[in-house]
This record gives sequence, C-alpha cells and structure tokens, in this order.
Amino acid sequence: MYAWVYRHLPGPPRLRLTLAVVAVLAVVALLMFVVFPAVETILPNGRVTLGD
Amino acid sequence: MAGASSVPAAEDEQGTASSGAATGGIPGPGRPADPAADAPTVLVGDSLPGGDRLLVENPALVGDPALVGDPLSGGERDPAAGQRRMLAGRLARGLGELLITAGIVVALFLAYQLWVTDLFAARTQDRLHHQLDQVWQRPPAPRAPAGDRVRPAPLPPVDLGDGLAILRVPRFGRDYFPVVVEGVAAADLRRGPGHIPGTAMPGQLGNFVVSGHRTTYGKPFSRLDELKVGDPLVVEVRDRYYTYRVTGSEVVAPNRVDVTYPVPKRPGVAPTKDLITLTTCHPKFSASHRLIVYGELVDTTAKSAGVPPALRGE
Repeated sequence: MYAWVYRHLPGPPRLRLTLAVVAVLAVVALLMFVVFPAVETILPNGRVTLGD
Repeated sequence: MAGASSVPAAEDEQGTASSGAATGGIPGPGRPADPAADAPTVLVGDSLPGGDRLLVENPALVGDPALVGDPLSGGERDPAAGQRRMLAGRLARGLGELLITAGIVVALFLAYQLWVTDLFAARTQDRLHHQLDQVWQRPPAPRAPAGDRVRPAPLPPVDLGDGLAILRVPRFGRDYFPVVVEGVAAADLRRGPGHIPGTAMPGQLGNFVVSGHRTTYGKPFSRLDELKVGDPLVVEVRDRYYTYRVTGSEVVAPNRVDVTYPVPKRPGVAPTKDLITLTTCHPKFSASHRLIVYGELVDTTAKSAGVPPALRGE
C-alpha cells in the first residue's frame, strides 16, 4: 500500500519524500481536527454530567 | 538481451534497488556467488524462504515479463503458481500494513485525547479569559431590582459557550483559574467547565452546578478527588468573589440527577442556602460513576475590597 503510493508519487526521490511527508501530515491533521473530535463524543470519559 | 536491459530500468523506477539486483541480469563469473543476483530465480516460484519477501519487495522486478520469461531465472517453472504466490504475498503485505496503520491511528488517538485536546482547551481558555476581561470592563447592563432581599441580584444571562465566571481553587494551585462557561453540551465542555443551565448562578439562592472534564480538554476537574471538607472554592464574577467551602463529596451513579437539585437530593424543597456542586466522571477514563463535590457559600467579597482571604492565604 505504502510502496504503491510512493511509487505513484511524481518527481525525483527528494520531491517524492517531501510529498510523502506532506501527505502524512495532512492525514494526521485530518484525524486530529475532524475524525477524532467526532469519534470522542461516543467515548465514556467525555461524560461528566448527570442524566440517562 | 531483454533481462539485462530491463533491470536497470527497474532500478530507475525503484530508485533504491540494490546494486546486486541491478547486476543480477548480467551473466558473469561472479554471479552465482552473489545471493542478491539469485533473486529473480526465487521470484518465479522457488520455495526458498524469503522468496515471498523478495517477491513483494521488488514488484517492479517481478512484474517484468521479460524477467519471468528469462531462461536464466528458471523459466521452466509454472508461471501461474508464481502469480498466485505474488498475489498472496501482496495480500499479506497489504493486510499487515493495514493493521500497522490501525495501531498507529489508535496511538495517535491516545495522544490526541491526552495532550492535543489540552492544547485546544488552553487556547480556548485564553480566548475566554480575554473575552471575559472585555465584558467585565464594560459597564454592567441594568439589572432587575433585587427585590426585598438584601443580596446581589443574579448575574445577567450568558449565551451558551460564553464565559460566566472564573473558578479558583487554592488547593489546585495559583495557576488554576479556568473560565466556567454556560452550558454542558459536548461543545461547551470542550471550552471549559460548564454551568448546567437552569441551575442557580453563582451567589444566587440554590445550587450552582458545574461539570468539567477529568482527563481531556485541559482536565479542569482532574483533581476533584483531592478536595477536602473546608477547602475554599472561589468563584469570581464581574464585581465579586464568592467564596464557597467544600462540605462533602461522594461517588454516585450517572443517573443521579437529584444531586443537581436546588437542595441536592431533596426534590421540591425550597433552597435556603447558596450551594455549589461540582461534577465529573469517576473513576478517571470511565463513565461508570460520577464524582460529586458539594460546597456552601460562606463569604461574598466585593472586588473593590481586594481578593478574598481564601485566595490571599496561598
């Protein structure tokens, strides 16, 4: 999977490496800012109030 | 010859192919001694251990029909078996990568919960402090007459998510002063401890109920279990400090809404005291119970009179 992605990145190795790092950072940002905030609402340690 | 011309091309595409593999297609006296040079032989269906690994690590070499058909690399083997092995290797590798990725995502989520949410909350709290400063510097909106009671009128209503008061707890240290926001929806609690709408405002007759995160988003109520009876809880509003003293704490089931009543656990009873109730989850990282800390107003200090004694004694 990762090898496939790397092989399909354009340019010389240096550019590919840069693109790969940028892609990893983009995925991490997506997780941190969109996916995790949505997922954590169903987790127990966010429940601090009383009710059913 | 096809093999010799195709291998350097593969090296270009891979960028990282070893020199041994690059010379593999060229017949020469030193070739049998070079293990990497045997790689193409392994690729086409040999049962040597590691054959699959080589096979998937150099897909460019494998996929080259010129190499597979090279008589030097064991062309007498069944090419269909090699194809199947190649597919199985790819599947195994893909599955492994997926599992590793899942593990990394879980680790990232842990880091997010434990540290990144703290960063978010710290930024939001800075903003809330700033906004509260600005609001408190403006002249107060005209208040409803206080009625026949000689006590400060309730604070004006605050929008959900906006800052309401500053909580100070000497036991938690001098640098503990979270802004309490209005509301206890998930979005409100991400900003800071939240006042349950409908319960009393600070200094108002009844029960001022505040819920806060224990393990995430700045973990404002992380150390609630350390509070002891008599500890001061100071709530700062525009013009006053309300000093409460802890009167007790308990761990209850999550459905015990009655601890938030004007007189906790006494439905329908009219309040005669100003109370404060802090709630958070218990034990840490769990939703099984709630930790409740009760307090009672003991002192109201105008800001013009300086900070209250409870804060001075630090």
